[in-house]
Amino acid sequence: MDAEISLMAVFDESRRAVGAGEESRPLDMFLRGVERRALRMAELATGSRDEALDLVQDAMFGFVRHYGGHDGAEWPPLFWRVLDSRLNDWHRRQKVRGRWSFRPDDKNTDEDPIALAPDAREPGPLARMADGEASVALEAALRGLPLRQRQAFLLRIWEGLDVAATAVAMRCSEGSVKTHLSRALANLRRALEAHR
Amino acid sequence: MNAPNDERWLERARALLDDSADNLDAATLSRLNRARQAALAARRKGPGRWAWGAAFAGAAAAVFAVAIALHRQGLPPASTPAASLQPADIDVLTSDDDLDLADNLDFYAWLEKQPAGGPSG
Repeated sequence: MDAEISLMAVFDESRRAVGAGEESRPLDMFLRGVERRALRMAELATGSRDEALDLVQDAMFGFVRHYGGHDGAEWPPLFWRVLDSRLNDWHRRQKVRGRWSFRPDDKNTDEDPIALAPDAREPGPLARMADGEASVALEAALRGLPLRQRQAFLLRIWEGLDVAATAVAMRCSEGSVKTHLSRALANLRRALEAHR
Repeated sequence: MNAPNDERWLERARALLDDSADNLDAATLSRLNRARQAALAARRKGPGRWAWGAAFAGAAAAVFAVAIALHRQGLPPASTPAASLQPADIDVLTSDDDLDLADNLDFYAWLEKQPAGGPSG
């Protein structure tokens, strides 16, 4: 009798697990779709693959726990929001530990807008580089950006979020997103031009 | 927002970043897979056993409180009926008088109006 009851319990448990697996499939598919870019984003922020993997895992746990029950259409900005929060926390910890090296200030105001304005006839800073060289140059230029500028660039330009969704992901106003992105583009262009 | 010729190098930047994400090594992909599975498994497990215990205890306490409230509602209030009885009512209830008077009040009222010698006619 006892054996029969425990067998039924095991059967029920496995049936529940299968049902829960089906329920988690959309979430699994979503995370599969973003995890690589999330890792690269974290890696650009930390400069370490191990740290990046830890942060992405942490972001996945936080996202699934807090937002897994939300409508799937809401997931992208919410996932990036969780990761962005983890990256901010990581940077704060680095500052506290004194391992923070100087990076361009987000609030630098001594930029000459005319000097920074791109020449419309120029094909762009990456145009004359071979893939390998361009990749190294882009990586270095992105790592040189302040966190908020880099996040605005990656979320808007790479991830393709619109301004409103990027503002949700970065917990800031849409105006701030535009400012961060504008500065990111100017700084990237300058860094890549210098690399040439 | 972007300058007209920004699109060209931004397109290249996107392609380079896509390549870097697509060409991750197998060990890294395996770790990403494990991280994803662990996050999803944590969701499937739901709250821990202690949380279910706490929820059960809370539910039991709520049921007990509701049962007590319903039980009290079903009992006659402590102030009725004895406390609301007037002394005159108590006299009536405890007296040995015949309650026939109350039952046949109309008859006795009519009887009182009749002449002393009895009904005429």
